[in-house]
Amino acid sequence: MRGDGMSAQRRERGLRAVPGGSDAVGAPASRPGQDAARLADLLVRSGRGDAAAFEELYDALAGTVHGLAHRIVRDPHLAEDVAQEALVEVWRVAARYRPDQGSARAWVMTIAHRRAVDRVRSEQSHADRLLTHGARHSGEVEHPEQVVDTMDAQWRAARVRRGLAALTPLQREALELTYYKGYTNRQLAESLGIPLGTAKARIRDAMIRLRDGWEVAR
Amino acid sequence: MSENVHALIGAYAVDAVTPAERDEFESHLGACEDCAVELAGLQEATAVLAEAEASAPPATLKARVMADIARTPQAAPPTRDDRDAAGPMPAEGASAASATAASSRRRLWPRLTLAAASVAVLAVGGLVGSSLVQQRQEELALEKDVMMVTSAPDAHSMDLGLGAAHLVMSDKMSSVVAMGEDCPEPEAGMEYQLWVVMADGSKHAGPTFAPEPDGSFMTMMEMDMEGATAFVVTEEPMGGSEQPTTDMVAVVEL
Repeated sequence: MRGDGMSAQRRERGLRAVPGGSDAVGAPASRPGQDAARLADLLVRSGRGDAAAFEELYDALAGTVHGLAHRIVRDPHLAEDVAQEALVEVWRVAARYRPDQGSARAWVMTIAHRRAVDRVRSEQSHADRLLTHGARHSGEVEHPEQVVDTMDAQWRAARVRRGLAALTPLQREALELTYYKGYTNRQLAESLGIPLGTAKARIRDAMIRLRDGWEVAR
Repeated sequence: MSENVHALIGAYAVDAVTPAERDEFESHLGACEDCAVELAGLQEATAVLAEAEASAPPATLKARVMADIARTPQAAPPTRDDRDAAGPMPAEGASAASATAASSRRRLWPRLTLAAASVAVLAVGGLVGSSLVQQRQEELALEKDVMMVTSAPDAHSMDLGLGAAHLVMSDKMSSVVAMGEDCPEPEAGMEYQLWVVMADGSKHAGPTFAPEPDGSFMTMMEMDMEGATAFVVTEEPMGGSEQPTTDMVAVVEL
């Protein structure tokens, strides 16, 4: 019972691999959207007009695009509109994506976030919205088949919480008002009564701290 | 002037800019590689924020989007000349690592079971001959797994006499994590190896590990806790051993 089975799987950090290491054994079937290289490939193919590739990309990212839109614009119908616009925009400009510039996911979320924020700003009731909607939306009831991996989702949420917890309260507030609520840096400065340069620096410091905490690319 | 534009980078990354500021920053981007690289990292971080919001989209959305794209013409790819100004991502210099690092956290380690044994061991870590990107992925995957174990409801922690280190066990996660700081360097040509000692005295090989230059280390083993009575650390020749070949340097009795 000892030895061979285990030693074949043994790896240690930072030094070496046992050939044919554990990736080859019992790996779960890869799920849609789990793999950055695959997403990048799908996005590139989408840019060449491959609708099937785009559909796969949709399956991988639409949940995040929609959730982000919902968080920012609040209204469910508006969120669906914004998600639709953003995803169609992804299709439209996909040929501009270059994998060496960053992940497909980040590229898509950049488009989605911008679209949501632009929509929020163009809303007549923006000012009221900013004042009255403090609480985070509760989310929609998810269909079981769409909850691909609860553990994964929990981990993501925990990771984000941990990242946000590492920020100072002022940094969190700055991100809450900008990233989630669509304030411009000037609106942030004026609403908090701080100099514009301070507002810009606060946003940047917050993002740098998140980036370093999460150890995403720098 | 340039200084002012540069200061907008955080605000740009979270879209806290006016259209005029956006244009200004994007034209600056094409000429400032530092900004492009920094922005790429910040955008990967914003993507993490976005991911936490993921929710099931309405079923109608997909049909609407697919119908829409069928009648939406696509923009042609930009030529080198217009790349500087194109798209939401920086024009130059972003690290290719960002693409892979961003999703590596979602990777799951394969689960292993030994048919003949009640102990399955999964050591995680870096790979020889692998790129830094892959190594980074391995580390992120390890960190994820470690976090899942240490945050499990039944996780409990025990001192491990190896620098300032402890073991965290979770029956629920069927895993044990060893982590710590100020870990002394093993002898030259040696590294540490974790073992699980069963009630019958048998010892099962766990992962090998060595401290980082700063003395920190982290390793993890997945196993059924049933029947385990102790965890032991020994120094073993590089690559680890089937059975301990030296005296233990640390032990945790369960």
